Amino acid sequence: MLRSLLNRKFLLMPLSARTGVMIFLGLIILIFGCNKKKEAANTVTVYVSEDQVFSEPVLKDFEKETGIDVRAVYDTEEAKSTGAMNRLIAEKNNPQADVYWANEPIRSEVLKQKGIAASYFSPQAKDIPNVFKDPRGYWTGFSARARVLVVNNRVKDTPQSILAYTDPRWKGKAVIANPLFGTTTSEIAALYTIWGDKRAEAFLVAMKKNGVTLSTSNGESADFVAAGEKDFSLVDSDDAVNRMRQGKPVTMIYPDQQENGLGCFIVPNVVVLIKGAPHLTAARRLIDYLLSKETERKLAFADCAQIPLHTAVEIPPELKPLSELKVMQVNYAEVAKKMIEIQPFLKAWVGF
Amino acid sequence: MQKRPFLFFVVLLFFIIGLLPVLSMLLKSIMAEGRFSLEAYEGILTSHRQWTLMGHSMALSFWVMLLTTIVGVPLGVLLGKTNLPLRRFFIFLFVIPLLIPPYITAVSWFDLLGREGLLSRLIGPSFAGMSSRFLFGLPGCVAILFTTFLPIPILLTMVFLRTVNPRLEEAGKLVSGWRGILKGITIPLILPGILLAAMLTFILSFGEFGVSNFLRYGVFPVESFTQFSAFYNFKAATAAAVPLVLVTFVVLLSEAGFLREKTFRLRPSAETEDLPLIALGTSRNGLFVLVTLFGFFLVIVPILVLIVQSANIQAYAEALSRAGDSLLRSLFYAVIGATSLTLFGFFSGYLIQTKTFRYWRAIDFTTIFLFALPGTVIGIGLISLWNTPYTNFIYGTLWIIILGYLAKYTALTSRITVNQLTQISPAMEEAAQVAGAGWFRRLIFIIIPLARRGLLAGWIVGYIFSLRDTAITMLVYPAGHDTLPVRIFTLMANGSAQLIAALCVMLILATLLPAGILWLIANPLLRKAKR
Repeated sequence: MLRSLLNRKFLLMPLSARTGVMIFLGLIILIFGCNKKKEAANTVTVYVSEDQVFSEPVLKDFEKETGIDVRAVYDTEEAKSTGAMNRLIAEKNNPQADVYWANEPIRSEVLKQKGIAASYFSPQAKDIPNVFKDPRGYWTGFSARARVLVVNNRVKDTPQSILAYTDPRWKGKAVIANPLFGTTTSEIAALYTIWGDKRAEAFLVAMKKNGVTLSTSNGESADFVAAGEKDFSLVDSDDAVNRMRQGKPVTMIYPDQQENGLGCFIVPNVVVLIKGAPHLTAARRLIDYLLSKETERKLAFADCAQIPLHTAVEIPPELKPLSELKVMQVNYAEVAKKMIEIQPFLKAWVGF
Repeated sequence: MQKRPFLFFVVLLFFIIGLLPVLSMLLKSIMAEGRFSLEAYEGILTSHRQWTLMGHSMALSFWVMLLTTIVGVPLGVLLGKTNLPLRRFFIFLFVIPLLIPPYITAVSWFDLLGREGLLSRLIGPSFAGMSSRFLFGLPGCVAILFTTFLPIPILLTMVFLRTVNPRLEEAGKLVSGWRGILKGITIPLILPGILLAAMLTFILSFGEFGVSNFLRYGVFPVESFTQFSAFYNFKAATAAAVPLVLVTFVVLLSEAGFLREKTFRLRPSAETEDLPLIALGTSRNGLFVLVTLFGFFLVIVPILVLIVQSANIQAYAEALSRAGDSLLRSLFYAVIGATSLTLFGFFSGYLIQTKTFRYWRAIDFTTIFLFALPGTVIGIGLISLWNTPYTNFIYGTLWIIILGYLAKYTALTSRITVNQLTQISPAMEEAAQVAGAGWFRRLIFIIIPLARRGLLAGWIVGYIFSLRDTAITMLVYPAGHDTLPVRIFTLMANGSAQLIAALCVMLILATLLPAGILWLIANPLLRKAKR
């Protein structure tokens, strides 16, 4: 009865209204038709801050080995590797992602503090040193970069410590990436937690006084040194190894390795399970996969040349295993907290 | 009566798709804990850095506007009103940079002039240092945006030249040569077109973000993007976008005020098919060589550099394996985007041309305003409006990208429709109306067949602009839905130069080939049917 009434009403409508209704219905069908979600168990959504060129092959291998479809949002260097995290924050009440693969641990701490991360203790993470894991399982580190000095080969007496930035001998000869972004911010915040505010600020002031040049990224800093425009720079180990593999005239030095030295700052990749993840089982499988020795081996031999956190993982000759390095002893949660606190000082220091 | 409710529905839909995200974004930026607050804006007025960035944006836009006008207008006259050989080819050639994302042009110039570019290998590192310094900064940004936006004054000059009544010029010939006619009659008559081109170039350069970002020249749109992406300060991102909105608004308002009484001249004259051409005489060959060299360096060299850089089968194999899915997705989205844009543009163009509503000018203005607005602003607005659990069927799917295309590019298809409809005699529709045909019947059986060339051109333009979009898509694409331009952008971080060049060549081919083939096949058929 209703159907016949609707039919009659529809037929009695003018052509324009009928067409309008049909276009409207067509749109609805198209929208909801394309919105049909895939089988939940067979999909995982991951937001990635590690460079796509390195992270994508690992995710592809995971797809091949497990048959789980990976849907990824990659960050861009231009967004200073924080775009994905910002989307996670924006989507807090309506999570789209299951897993976050960050290229450093500090912002994962921020996610934990904002209640976006969920706890998960992966069986693959048992051998990873505790300093690289959250004690409550909110994030777990793997495959790390070291913060190193990249030095041009024409420099005879090479700098061995980050304190070289304040040494008059290197006046106007050093470059550092903008400390408002990325791993440079993390390392400076780490120095604050070890030295205290006063000494860290004095170090930054002295560095500026010594004519340090600011670059937009670690990659650009390494390029300045490789081109011979500057003598040295504090960069990530992958930036240095990359230039060495390209045959550029540079050497990589792990800083502050002396007996009473600070040690070099280690920046592991970090994987986080997202609270309310729509595909929980697949998310845990992906986390286990990323934390495996095999993934660490792949990332060590890739151009990003990352240092495995598991022991007994094969590495390329340019890298030193973690066991042979003097590592800066920091608490990443404290570093994360400090990083937010020092923003106003850093902005003023940079000249914002 | 049938058409008004339907067209009102179109206007309403456009309001929701285009204007509401921007309004929602503005509203959220002036609210803090449920109260009115201008806290987010205070930083903008007080920070020295913001004023510096504004100065950079102004300088960049001014230089691009000035140079494109100085070069584009004479080139438009040369290609539109003289007997220069191969004019059609040159028009096609100079339009190419507008069709590809500007940052791809930046990549190719970087491959040529960068520290390790082709010229550095040929000439030496001292030259490389100099050319790199030129590229990274204001001059480099100006040069690349000049290349990108040069087609605007060329095309608008040509379009406006066709609106000049030839009788005026013929009368001028009685007392003067072509130089005097151009100076005294033609150029003054097409001045609104020149100004329109200058203003469009200014606001498009003002909103451009990819090139400045790539070449590390701090401008206002980069600030807005960084505030959102690097600091997650939604309000600061909006506040940083407001000056862009204001500048766009002021420029458009002055353009509307200046051109209001002169737009009638846009209508083509009856004699458009027989425009009097200027015979170049002895300078014809010299000018031909000059234009050829200019086109070679401006358009062909950057594309050649990309081809040389990527001349390696492995690079293309890697590009296909890394971005093959993104390429297919880009094509699919571009087809859906182009179809939606053609439909939307047709109806909004129709209501503007027929002045269905009293506020038709406001609709026209809004579409152009959104086109001129930086993509990042629209992207942020879309997130602000649609990122809720209730609208996940939009936000979590490709439709959020399509909404972005509709918001940003409807102006193009709408303007093309207006241009096409002005060439159809209103008597056709009126005769059908007298015979009792309803509005939809008139549309389907009279207007659409007569406007089919405009619809095809609109579809191709919609396809090209959907395919090249980076700014909106990068901010809103759902997981696993990235497009080729976005993939290129993310792979640039540590991706090899060969791979990036191969991807850029793929994107250029994906843009030009389907659009070109479609035009070559469909255009003669439509012409034949018209006859």
